[in-house]
Amino acid sequence: MSDTVLLDAGFAYPEVKVVLAAMRGRDWAAVRAVLDAAGPVGRSTLIRAASEEYGQEEFLRHVLAEDPDDTAAAAMLGMHLIDIGWRIRSDARAQHVSGGQFEAFHDWLRRAEMVLLEGVARGPADPALWVARLTSARGLELGLDETRRRYRKLAAIDPHHLPGQNAYLQRLCPKWSGDWPMLHAWCRAEMLAAPPGAVQAVLVVDGHIEHWAELGESANLGYLRSKPVRDEIDEAAQRSVRHPDFGRDYGWVQVASSFAMIYSVLGDRAAAGAMFDMLGDLGTEVPWCYVGDGNAAQQIRAYRQRARRRGRVVG
Amino acid sequence: MISKFEVGGIPGLIVPTTGSMQAGLGFRVGFVDEPLARRGITHLIEHLALHSVGVADYHYNGATGVEFTRFHMQGVEKDVVAFLNGVCAALRDLPMSRLAVEKEVLHAEAHGRNAPVSEPMWLWRHGARDYGAGAYPEWGLPGITEDDLRAWVDRFFTKENAVLWVAGEKVPAGLELDLPSGTRQPLPPPSSALPSTPACFGGSAGLVAWDTVVPRSPATSVFADVLERMLFRELRQESGLSYAAQTDHRPLGRDSVVITAVADSLPENSGAVLGGMVDVLAALRAGRVDPADVTAMIGKRVAGLRHSDEVAARLPIQALGLLAGREVCDVEEQIAGLTAVTAADVAAVAADAWANGLVMSPSRADHAGFTIAPQESVAKVDGTAFPALPGATALLVVGAEGISLVEENLLTVRFDECVLMRAWPDGGRQLIGADGTVIWAEPTLHRAGRAAIAKIDAAVPGELVVAEAARAPEQIPQPRATAADRSDRVAGIQGMVLFGVLTLVFGGFAALLLVAFLTGTEDRGPLLAIASLCALAAAGGGHGVRRARYRMRYGSRPIER
Repeated sequence: MSDTVLLDAGFAYPEVKVVLAAMRGRDWAAVRAVLDAAGPVGRSTLIRAASEEYGQEEFLRHVLAEDPDDTAAAAMLGMHLIDIGWRIRSDARAQHVSGGQFEAFHDWLRRAEMVLLEGVARGPADPALWVARLTSARGLELGLDETRRRYRKLAAIDPHHLPGQNAYLQRLCPKWSGDWPMLHAWCRAEMLAAPPGAVQAVLVVDGHIEHWAELGESANLGYLRSKPVRDEIDEAAQRSVRHPDFGRDYGWVQVASSFAMIYSVLGDRAAAGAMFDMLGDLGTEVPWCYVGDGNAAQQIRAYRQRARRRGRVVG
Repeated sequence: MISKFEVGGIPGLIVPTTGSMQAGLGFRVGFVDEPLARRGITHLIEHLALHSVGVADYHYNGATGVEFTRFHMQGVEKDVVAFLNGVCAALRDLPMSRLAVEKEVLHAEAHGRNAPVSEPMWLWRHGARDYGAGAYPEWGLPGITEDDLRAWVDRFFTKENAVLWVAGEKVPAGLELDLPSGTRQPLPPPSSALPSTPACFGGSAGLVAWDTVVPRSPATSVFADVLERMLFRELRQESGLSYAAQTDHRPLGRDSVVITAVADSLPENSGAVLGGMVDVLAALRAGRVDPADVTAMIGKRVAGLRHSDEVAARLPIQALGLLAGREVCDVEEQIAGLTAVTAADVAAVAADAWANGLVMSPSRADHAGFTIAPQESVAKVDGTAFPALPGATALLVVGAEGISLVEENLLTVRFDECVLMRAWPDGGRQLIGADGTVIWAEPTLHRAGRAAIAKIDAAVPGELVVAEAARAPEQIPQPRATAADRSDRVAGIQGMVLFGVLTLVFGGFAALLLVAFLTGTEDRGPLLAIASLCALAAAGGGHGVRRARYRMRYGSRPIER
């Protein structure tokens, strides 16, 4: 039984490591080779992962100057600028962010918007651009109508694009001026629209995790335990992690990790254990950072041990 | 085929048509020439001139526009000749007895007029002068005198500043067109009120508009058509966000055109309409122009040009263009120019168009690269400060250079840039700067307000002042005195009674104890302490009475100092 927790996407999806290595070597052709071979969701995931590395702006601007039609570079640069801004803003709730921080945050997001606007103008069918545009729209508080327009553009290209759905889900949360009924209805509709066994069921679970986190953890296990919510969580599990068609496509770790987290919190050790089994050493920062002290690796370790101590898990 | 001719020194264009004759006389004068303090003078002259030739049975009219003013008529030859000669005679001798009545008529016309939705954009782009003047009401009318009218006619309604057009078999006989002599009046260069472009400013709910100024060329009109087609597809057909998504293009000066795009929406969708519109503009700028769209739009335009009615309909534009120095362009020439336009030409126009763009939208467009247009002035003038009265909020500063109003933002109108001051008998003044800044100076809202107004009146040149009719008392702004609502008044009265009683009781006690202190012989220490406490409570009560009285009068806002 291992005590290891691997949160980096590179452990779940080996291509991430290849892309990161190529980026560090400033070898754009090698980056593109991996991106071009990936499916749309994989491509967006890889672009996102690479954009989180520090100090990419100059290199990516250079790539774009060489070929303004390279929308992979535009998406990565856009994401990268958003990321810089978000680090300045920090993940704190709005009332804990200073005016100066907000100004700098918005300034970086506007720079990202300009890159993404030009990218979409040249290649409107690249889903990675729209994923980035959904994130910057949220940060700039552009209004639900514009964010919805962007989501619909993405959905017209790829109706089940989990990275974009993750971004849109955040926008529907009340902390970003959305509301719960709208969010839960959308999550369930997206799950049902996707084929059985698809990763979209995680949206239902993530929606409830957000709701629960907003209510305040300790006092409100009642929310997650209420029958309608519990039923929806189980229905989502049946449609995804417990479905024979649930595969190992991009996003699967996020799905299993969210289920592991919600079942752990609910105290359903058997269900949680099955998820930890599926994950092995793998895990994700979100949503585990919502639990306890926010140290995801530690929380995963603790809950995993608890689930295994019951001896219900084969392994 | 358009041919040129001349009558009495006035150049003309004729195009052969069948059916009844259409003819018109145009002048190079319009809103663009009107200082704001005389805004409406051209329209007033047009009305007075037409009054003299008024014949109800015929199809005739006049129109005052941004750059040109025209009189036109459709009918049999002799009536057309009589009309045009009549207009010229009337211009020489305007029926001044009609002045007051026609001013009233113009007020009524303005009231019923449907202003173009993009009108505020002229103001934001150019300010309160030349190409921005048309966005303002005819504020000059009250002050326009007979002498003003004569001087305006002498300057603008002259032979050298006129053009004629005829759609008919031949140039009609008997045209006299007896106009005074003068000089051709060039169009003023367009002013700019925008420090940088692309820019944006806030507009009303449910409407997103964009405009730009680009050089005139066949590619420009094709760009406007392609843009409309793409906006319609994007905003109406694909997303259902807009009902109407249209573009329009009209000449500006000799060599430029203004292209305007307007899209409506539900108020809650205007952010998405803005997003869709910006995406379309950026796609065109980036060169993603569908050659099929270009071909289709050229085809449509060419078909329109070949239609004979269209030739006659476009004749006035061609003729007026002569006054702006534009060459006459025959149909075949226009068609040849249009058919040569490529997708790359359209993309080149789009890049230019983007750079000069101005967006009017309820939601901000700064994230898309549009700088927010200035909403306040840069510097405050030095001068005497007239603070706000209790219940008012703005500080008025009047200096030798101009005036400033300091509230949440700063507004300044310098006297040397003031284009109009509207003056009401009650002392209210509205000053408008060339850049479009508006300051209301109201004597009722400032300490020593009368003195402030007197200083302003002494500084603003008389020709910029338009005297307005008296305002109704309820239109004269007052400090928040009248703004206290019922609940404030009730709470204020209650507070005054409560604190009043408190003051009387403790004040009385304090007085009695003081008397006891002065006359008494026993232990005087505690007596003095209690008397002081009572006096303190009475003072507190007095303060409470003041606050309550303030609340009763001005509402629950704290006193501004």
